[in-house]
Amino acid sequence: MSPEFILPAVNFQCILPQILLSLTALLVLLVDVFGLVKKANALALITLAGVVFATLTLFSGTGLQETAFSGMILVDGFSFFLNLTICLILILTILVSMNYQQFFPGINSGEYYSLLIFAAVGMSFMAAAGNLILLFVALELMSVSIYVLVGFHKDNLRSIEAALKYFLMGAFATSFLLLGFAFLYGATGTMDLLTMTEFIRSNPEVLSSGLFLSGVLLTLTGLGFKISMVPFHMWTPDVYEGAPTVITGFMATGVKAAAFAALVRIFMVPLGSLPIDWSMLLWVAAVLTMTVGNIIALVQDSIKRMLAYSGIAHAGYLLIGVVAGGELAQAGILYYLLVYAFMNIGAFGVLALLGKKETEYNTLQEFSGLGLKYPVLGLAMAVFMFSLAGIPPTGGFMGKLYIFSAAIKSGYVWLVVLGALNSVISIYYYLRVIVVMYFQESGAEDVAFPAPSPAITLGLGLAAAGIMILGVFPSYFWVLAQNSVFVPM
Amino acid sequence: MLLEYIPILYLMLVAIGFGVITVILSSLIGPKKMTREKAASYECGLPSEGFQYFQTPIKFYVFALLFLIFDLECIFLYPWAVHYNQLGLFGFVEMLIFICILLVCYVYVWKKGALEWD
Amino acid sequence: MSELLLTLAVKSVLVVSVCMLMVAYLTLAERKILGFIQLRYGPNRVGYWGLLQPIADGIKAFLKEELTPANADRKVFLLAPIISIAAPMLLLVVIPFGDTVTLFGREFTLYLSNPDIGILFVLGISTLGSYGGVLGGWASGNKYGYIGGVRSTAMMVSYELSMAFAVICVVLLSNSLSLVDIVHSQAGVWNIFKAPVAFLIFLISGLAELNRTPFDMPEAEAELCCGYNVEYSSMKFALFFFGEYTHLFILGCLTTTLFLGGWHGPLLPGIIWFFIKTFAVIFLCIWQRATFPRLRWDFVMKLEWKFLLPLAIVNVLATGFIVAIF
Repeated sequence: MSPEFILPAVNFQCILPQILLSLTALLVLLVDVFGLVKKANALALITLAGVVFATLTLFSGTGLQETAFSGMILVDGFSFFLNLTICLILILTILVSMNYQQFFPGINSGEYYSLLIFAAVGMSFMAAAGNLILLFVALELMSVSIYVLVGFHKDNLRSIEAALKYFLMGAFATSFLLLGFAFLYGATGTMDLLTMTEFIRSNPEVLSSGLFLSGVLLTLTGLGFKISMVPFHMWTPDVYEGAPTVITGFMATGVKAAAFAALVRIFMVPLGSLPIDWSMLLWVAAVLTMTVGNIIALVQDSIKRMLAYSGIAHAGYLLIGVVAGGELAQAGILYYLLVYAFMNIGAFGVLALLGKKETEYNTLQEFSGLGLKYPVLGLAMAVFMFSLAGIPPTGGFMGKLYIFSAAIKSGYVWLVVLGALNSVISIYYYLRVIVVMYFQESGAEDVAFPAPSPAITLGLGLAAAGIMILGVFPSYFWVLAQNSVFVPM
Repeated sequence: MLLEYIPILYLMLVAIGFGVITVILSSLIGPKKMTREKAASYECGLPSEGFQYFQTPIKFYVFALLFLIFDLECIFLYPWAVHYNQLGLFGFVEMLIFICILLVCYVYVWKKGALEWD
Repeated sequence: MSELLLTLAVKSVLVVSVCMLMVAYLTLAERKILGFIQLRYGPNRVGYWGLLQPIADGIKAFLKEELTPANADRKVFLLAPIISIAAPMLLLVVIPFGDTVTLFGREFTLYLSNPDIGILFVLGISTLGSYGGVLGGWASGNKYGYIGGVRSTAMMVSYELSMAFAVICVVLLSNSLSLVDIVHSQAGVWNIFKAPVAFLIFLISGLAELNRTPFDMPEAEAELCCGYNVEYSSMKFALFFFGEYTHLFILGCLTTTLFLGGWHGPLLPGIIWFFIKTFAVIFLCIWQRATFPRLRWDFVMKLEWKFLLPLAIVNVLATGFIVAIF
């Protein structure tokens, strides 16, 4: 006879936002395929409504501290903060996409919006995962959706090349991750993060076992690929350049947020007590990531490619937080991810705004004189650039400040010095954009700027306002981030 | 329990052995008078033209992918069905949700025209 | 232990030989029945009433020349007929022909094996059988064979879906994957009365899995001059042929087991009931072959994907609902 079947504890309340998001995705798909709406922006508006509603339900879970689905889902401040970030990323991306579809009508389809949402659902489950299996499934949901989104310009060879490159290398990296999880499971006997933390606490000798260390390394490889950590960054420039610009913004911020969530959940908490040698490894990785990203970004002519390299550099800054460890650094990472979402999607949003049918303008020459021709747009771009460079009073500065100060508190002074030097280097190429925009004669006459739609105005305005609020009045969000750190129960 | 698999092993040997022995025997017994005409591929008497592996219509791949999706869904239903008497109405609702999500995909696929054969 | 192993070996050989004999005569039965339906005699020269015909066919196939086309992939070409006979033969192992009987003071089960995962084993192995067709068609280096092989794969995988969904209804009613448990659970009411739609879906998909008319697209004589086995001759062709009839026999057995109550029945011993039902199902399959014309290829796919599959899925839900309520 079959053994007694034990029903798992089911608590749908805990994953309500994700359920709503998934329902929205299915709805958009059906609405599109049945051709129920004719207006150009209707699909985007339906998506937006669903996402905003899901974001609001997120707040019903504030302050909760529990596990659901037998430990699969952790509902805590950490997942709340990251889910909020991911929802913001999603909203901004949708707003920017509504304008982008003028140039690339192909993206105005149900598939585009539902894939966007499914990727976000994957990200938010990654942030909420309390189990390596769920983490992996969520990562796959996110990755597969994004592979498709990267290749969404079906007629554009660069886009397809990017998708194929990302897919092949991503699949390869994912197999490393899975092997790493298997090793961690073999060493600790559990897939559950909280149980794993307990186990490591009571059996510290496991930390030096070969199986465990190879698990750690392989996991780091897999996640390092997603955050484009050097030396796993090779795909980043090509993929970021080939992908539709709005998707580049989405994946640069969203994937980073989700992958850092996983890094924090795995590396800062269960492995927080690990001896110094593995953080030495991350130390080197952080320095390399920052430096490689910044140095190569210096010589880029295309702003899109430059931003891709800057994405690598920012992963390096965030890695400083992971190296530092501790709750303060966790809060710093959370805060930085939020700011990064605003500034990066904002910057890519400006790129997505300039162009004509089937082409975009994203070289430096095409930006010359832009700031004088379109003062508001120029101002917004300047804010994003200042923030990316980390110049006060923008949010980017505060984010770096929090991470660096946490690192100094943990005693990594040299790391912070290197990070600060890198910031100084990066100022050169960020400010170059501003210089070109304001102090050069407009070269390319045909750089046309279509009338800004309300959506993109709202999107870019939101991003710029977010940066300024996070930069000038950081205390509310800083306290929120500090209350959101992941402490195993 | 492992005992139940011994007959399977036996029958596997018998079945494969039957096939192999028959093929070997018939190649030993039958006459062998091979000519070039006999070795040519038979296409209703006309001489064969072109390469024998032409491009397969993409439709076959689409159906193969759809098969994968629905077969996975189906396999997922088996453990559910085995324990159904213990799950009761709760299990029914859970599976209803799961199947409805997949039916949405089915409707999508149908409307997109992936099920048409032309 | 060794005695047990020996008993099992003897039983295996016995089951295989008896069943293969039945399958051999199935070929004769089909020709006879078709003949009578079409007002012909069917084979009646070899032996009384044509009873030696299957043996004559076998000897003839052995004595024919074996041809391998010049541009065939030799290894795969040899492998394909072996797969296509081995897979259905292997399925005989899980068919419960009857309950336990007492012979010479010892208890014997009238089935070789009763694994927990009986049905999954059946579905898995019967799909393996479709490799025979596709590899054979592909390896023979012939355009018709190639089309036949590709078609056979597409059709088999498609119809396997609705078949698997129909089987889920049976599992829902019996709460077990073991074929013996399923038969036991039908001691009162047969599953065909509890799940008639599932029965029809199972039978139709089964016919498609068998490549039988009206679903014999992979070997459609008129368009593909025999499809995937066009280049096969002598005993290798006979293996394909034999494999198909073994599969038909297996389909009859499975239908009986899953839907018609297996060995249950009044008065007569169980095993007799089992074979009565099995041959009734097989007769139905032969009968419909004489009745229905062949479907066009796009209709075959349409029937599965637009009718049988959604019907099967909804049927699972409906069965589940009814089981949950009562």
